[in-house]
Amino acid sequence: MDKSYLKKFSENIFKQLTADEDLGLFLHSEDSLFLRFNGSKVRQNTTVSQHELTLTYQTNHKVINMAFNLTLDLDSDLNTATKKIAQARIDLPLTDESPKFVEMTNNGQSETYKKIERPQDSEIPKIISDLFSDSDLAGLWCSGPLRRASINSKGQFHYFESDYFFFDYSLYNGPKAAKGFYSDEIFNHDKFTAKANDTKNKLSLLQKPTVSVPRGQYRVYLEPMAVAEILGTMSWGALSQASYNQGRAPLKKLKENELSLSEKFTLLENFNLGLSPLFNAIGEISKPEIMLIQNGKLENFLTSTATAKEYTLISNQASSGESPRSPEVRAGTLNQNEILKKLGTGLYLSNLHYINWSDLQTARMTGMTRFACFWVENGEIVGPINDLRFDETIYKIFGEGLIDFSNEQEIFVDTSTYMKRSIGALKVPGALIENFNFVL
Amino acid sequence: MQTENILDTEFKKYKSSADFVAFKTIHEHTRDLSVRNGKPDDISSFDDQGLLIEIMRDGHIGYGATCEMTSDGIKSAFSKALQMTEASQKKSVHKFTDHIRPPSRGEFISARQKPLDQISTAEIYDFLKKTSQKLKSSDQIITAASDAMVIECDQRYLSSNGADFHQNFNIIVNSLSSTAQSGSETQTRSLHGGRGNCLQIGAEHFNLDVALRDCETISHEAIELLSAENCPTETCDLILAPDQMLLQIHESIGHPLELDRILGDERNFAGWSFVQPADFGKLQYGHPMMNVIFDPTVSNEMASFKFDEIGNPAEKKYLIQNGILKAGLGSLESQARSGLSGVANARSSSWNRAPIDRMANINLEGGDLTLEEMISKVSRGVIMFANRSWSIDDYRRKFQFGCEYGKLIENGKLTKTLKNPNYRSVTIPFWNSLAGLTKPNTVETYGSPYCGKGEPSQIIRVGHSSPYALFKNIEVFGG
Repeated sequence: MDKSYLKKFSENIFKQLTADEDLGLFLHSEDSLFLRFNGSKVRQNTTVSQHELTLTYQTNHKVINMAFNLTLDLDSDLNTATKKIAQARIDLPLTDESPKFVEMTNNGQSETYKKIERPQDSEIPKIISDLFSDSDLAGLWCSGPLRRASINSKGQFHYFESDYFFFDYSLYNGPKAAKGFYSDEIFNHDKFTAKANDTKNKLSLLQKPTVSVPRGQYRVYLEPMAVAEILGTMSWGALSQASYNQGRAPLKKLKENELSLSEKFTLLENFNLGLSPLFNAIGEISKPEIMLIQNGKLENFLTSTATAKEYTLISNQASSGESPRSPEVRAGTLNQNEILKKLGTGLYLSNLHYINWSDLQTARMTGMTRFACFWVENGEIVGPINDLRFDETIYKIFGEGLIDFSNEQEIFVDTSTYMKRSIGALKVPGALIENFNFVL
Repeated sequence: MQTENILDTEFKKYKSSADFVAFKTIHEHTRDLSVRNGKPDDISSFDDQGLLIEIMRDGHIGYGATCEMTSDGIKSAFSKALQMTEASQKKSVHKFTDHIRPPSRGEFISARQKPLDQISTAEIYDFLKKTSQKLKSSDQIITAASDAMVIECDQRYLSSNGADFHQNFNIIVNSLSSTAQSGSETQTRSLHGGRGNCLQIGAEHFNLDVALRDCETISHEAIELLSAENCPTETCDLILAPDQMLLQIHESIGHPLELDRILGDERNFAGWSFVQPADFGKLQYGHPMMNVIFDPTVSNEMASFKFDEIGNPAEKKYLIQNGILKAGLGSLESQARSGLSGVANARSSSWNRAPIDRMANINLEGGDLTLEEMISKVSRGVIMFANRSWSIDDYRRKFQFGCEYGKLIENGKLTKTLKNPNYRSVTIPFWNSLAGLTKPNTVETYGSPYCGKGEPSQIIRVGHSSPYALFKNIEVFGG
């Protein structure tokens, strides 16, 4: 799969359109290697070549999306697309005009290519298995090129191709576990080894006797990966304009100035991170930065052009799902070396797990502590904890309970692989929070 | 080139190229339509078609997947898969034999009266439009949504040791919901919660008269919730309706019994399990009235099949009998690795993912009470309907679930409507607090199209049927 195939395909298929028809093409393509490890050995190796093309067919203010997988045989793929357009010409007249119909326009042309340096695929099983031969490791290696393109019959042609890798893993000593992660533009064996040793050292800290912490409210420090989990859950509708208009908005009270967040909380969409395509599925290019919440005040919801059309608003070129694609939480002033001291007595949480809204309307979420989490007294780690369930509102976490963010942020590339690889990243600091509510 | 021709022709080229080779093709046609407030929200379709190649080298199975359904595409996919399988077999978790790939032959066609290829997109749209309009019964309903996923799936599997089977599924996932708003209060009520209303069924599912009656109830209850009291915070009796039990069974029985979790495959992602290998045959999982079965053989339930995706014939099996843990959810691979008994549950989300241990239909059998008798046994408690929130820890112990709609039970009678009903507990104490099940004729069947698990991650369809269930002394709370 490459750009030239798409050029040929699109030139041919656009010729079939009549004057009152438009067609958009959105490509997700990947050639991936997935290596699943358990016990520091390979459980499953899977190579995947997947090229999913979505045809967006429009006529008379009506629209239908039709996706299929390209075989890369041009005649066969054109034949499939032709049949789909023919079916759309039968189906669409029997439906109604879309209230969020967006006229197709030419949003320009662009090409972006990102290359990395990484070992040959066939070397990876040995590299990982040998490096962690002294450990009990479970995890996933993922690598290979991922492509996105947005093309339309108005002349638009955006193409993005990025090769990248990540290794997302955890190390175990019985039930005690520490999380590790490695992703870079150049695979460096020394760096990888150093990161592995960090994780091994973290696991060794868990050898202290486990502390049973009863339910209650505690001062907590959330490592950046734990903050990322919370931000990930907020991405399910909390920042979406359509969710607000349709009654599914956790931040309704923030929008309507009934409640506020901390002045220390600033959240923006920041494409300068450079890890996601600048264009969305219909080819619109976002501004490099979109302020969402500034110093605790809601500045903007993510608003797609479709939502803007339906509710007569201004679009900020969000994706159709209005989830952030490259969010950043601004850093605070908390020095990395002072975190335990500033925490004093409370919980140091490296990861959170399985977070879900427990009450959407009050922005309350529940989830679990996971991996290396510790009870701290007077700035000293006492020992790992038995996992705890929290149930707390965003208005506490990033509002009245927020003491400060760390002055260093971490970038996490999107590791989601449901059905296909996701792309994107987020950048977050750690957070010191008081009176965090644990319920079980 | 047609898929069937490709599979037969290309398979012959490669079937002797390794210790074991299998080809699986999947072609799934999904129509996904949403109508909101009587207007189209989304009309889309997806033809997901591709090939999964399985290669065994020195006891290790590796996979190659491609949607490039041409001779060149398959050649490239086979070559890449072979290279990685050879590199991985030196560091493999377990050495298998081809006994984990039975030479099964046969066919399965899911139950249907009117095949889904006989209903047009316009007909589906019309059903959704009429139900959406009915759901918007008042100006207080700000969102009236009617959605349907209409799925036609075709699977074929050929292996070098003689397997040749074909399975064809018709599936509908249909959701209806009303979101009501008044001032700062917003409440949503749906038909059995989110996407719980799903079955293997044909177009006969789209019964407009029945659906319009459901819409009337849903929109009425959404408005009713606007002025309802919050669920109280206390420890009391709890009755869960089947459309919440589906989630309770799924999260606190299904997942912890997956042998690949117990073996540690999922530790980095979905999690481990509190269940230990030594627990099978011994652990008092729940009250002796509790009987839970793995059963892909029932008609119409979401995850019914004749073979799992590596050819293991489907059979009904008790997972928990009289409250005692009997068997886990482990495929032939997990059985070989663990030495434990299991079931036919090696399943994958599509052609681009390797099969792993999955739930299929996990069902709780009925008891001896009518619903009225069950309610009459409760002096103070809450009955909860339709899941809306879920979270459980990575060992599947501590959970917190929320529902759309509740009713207070006082002195054996349903009294006030309650909004934001939630409860939390710990798996083993919770199931041992089971105090009643309604009769088999009250069992309702639901499921989910979105069970997530695996690295790389997979979403799979599961079915769950259950009666109403009564639990004693559970922590409930409101919004």
